[in-house]
Amino acid sequence: MSATVVGILGILILLLILFLLGMPVGFAMGLVGFCGFWYVTSFKAAITMVGADIWSTFSSYGLTVIPLFVLLGYIAFYSGLAERLYEAAYKWFGHWRGGLAIATIGADELFAAICGSNTATAATMGAVALPQMIKYNYDNRLSSGTIVTGGTIGTVMPPSVVMIIIGLQTEQSIIKLFLGGILPGILMGFLFVITIVLMCRINPSFGPAGPKFSFKEKIRSLTNVIEAVCIFVLIIGGLYKGIFTPTEAGAAGVFFALIATIVTGRFTWNGFLKGIMDTLKISSMVFFLVTGAIIFGRFLAVTRLPFHVAEFVASLPVHPYIILSGILFIYLIGGCFMDALGFLVLTIPIFFPLGMRLGFDPLWYSVILTMITTVGAITPPVGVNIYVVKALAPEIELSTIFKSASFFLIACIVAILIIILVPDIVLLIPKMAYK
Amino acid sequence: MLKLLDRFSNLLNRVLVWIGGVFLCLMILLTCANIFLRTVWFPIRGTFELMGYFGAVVTAFALGYTQLSKGHIAVDIVVMRFPKGLKRVTDAINSILLFIFFSFATYQIARFATNLKDTGEVSETLRIIYYPFSYATAFGCGALAFVFFVELLKSIFQKENAR
Repeated sequence: MSATVVGILGILILLLILFLLGMPVGFAMGLVGFCGFWYVTSFKAAITMVGADIWSTFSSYGLTVIPLFVLLGYIAFYSGLAERLYEAAYKWFGHWRGGLAIATIGADELFAAICGSNTATAATMGAVALPQMIKYNYDNRLSSGTIVTGGTIGTVMPPSVVMIIIGLQTEQSIIKLFLGGILPGILMGFLFVITIVLMCRINPSFGPAGPKFSFKEKIRSLTNVIEAVCIFVLIIGGLYKGIFTPTEAGAAGVFFALIATIVTGRFTWNGFLKGIMDTLKISSMVFFLVTGAIIFGRFLAVTRLPFHVAEFVASLPVHPYIILSGILFIYLIGGCFMDALGFLVLTIPIFFPLGMRLGFDPLWYSVILTMITTVGAITPPVGVNIYVVKALAPEIELSTIFKSASFFLIACIVAILIIILVPDIVLLIPKMAYK
Repeated sequence: MLKLLDRFSNLLNRVLVWIGGVFLCLMILLTCANIFLRTVWFPIRGTFELMGYFGAVVTAFALGYTQLSKGHIAVDIVVMRFPKGLKRVTDAINSILLFIFFSFATYQIARFATNLKDTGEVSETLRIIYYPFSYATAFGCGALAFVFFVELLKSIFQKENAR
């Protein structure tokens, strides 16, 4: 049996069986990578590779950025920063029809600028905004959909854990990826707002207008935004100016957020310790996902499967954009059946070299992959954000949440299409920063 | 006996995750101290090195706790629909495969650490021994292997209503 056939069997049979058995994705990739490498080379080589990869990944300085950015998000979550951001957005937009939903998207944009996770963003904004929208008789189809999809901005707006992982896996500059995500994140938010406006125009009962606030109150509410803006400027400014490495930016962000929480009297030991525990859980999961993908990638490399796939697909007599559509379709379907982040780390060893072979800009391609990955968080039946909202509002039917997310899914797909047609939306800021 | 093993596994991983938490705080303090000191005076030597080693402890020590709280992402849409008996079988298969895999990994990383110790290997910048961190990583993987061992025993011996 040729090594390439072994690679295909490894993916199709072993990995699929293990996934269907319910084995955690990172462990399944590690196990299949180990067994496949053992088959192609030897047991000694395989076990040495596994030991060395676990140690080198766990002790990698580059990966220490992950727990720090995750902790930053949790500090913001437990300190009630999201509530204050929402309050500010609510005072500005709440009196419009669908204004609470628009305020939620506005607060999502701000919260995502310091939190790198879509689930954390959805959970935080869900806890803050859902009760308000229920109070003002918002239709569940609008309120739940807004929370579910608003969270996806957290993955695209920097800092983003998904972008950090892509950067580390493909050896790209994390700061360039961060800068490349700013405009697409804003574009997504804008398209979500258009979706809300259209929904409320078609059916005004979806989002009745709330009370109006005076201009003075609106201006005063902006003080709530200062903290988030300062953290964002500290992180992105420090990275851009070369003052910090990404890890240092994460640590400085955590430190600043902690100081701000203590100074404003919102620090609680309970919240801090919960944040540490949640961070350790998420980080350990992400680290083993990356480790599993590295072990699996070594197996694939030894079978030369990614190169054969890249060569074969690139030689097809079709336009690269048609192949890109195929790749995005695979991500969309893959995201329906397994966790989007898991699917991303699994497929990057195959699809990234393919994208490069097709001549795509690595930065643009990575941002598109990030966006399609985040769509996986809102598609049935494994859309993680959907279950976050269901946990927050058990009275809302799961089918209602899925239906409401599907309205916004169109906006996500339109955003991706715009990015494909106008690559400068991604490339403009990095180009300006590094000209 | 099974209950005792389960309790021990829980306690061990809880202690480990707290130690991991302490190392996470140390990482933040060390990095911030380095940023501050290099701005006003000179950088702390070996910060990058120590961050990597501390990161290894943080991750390895949280592996078992994350598994106990089902924090490692899995594709469970198919398994959720399995009848209880079949679910037990799949749990047992998963546990035995992962117990073996992580036992091998533990052995290999511990062997690597022993090799570092025997050869007196030191880190590049600080010139300090770093095999304790490798042993810690092996220990974290061992604790995860132990979690799978207990889960295997539970799926074989524990009565359905006790699970």
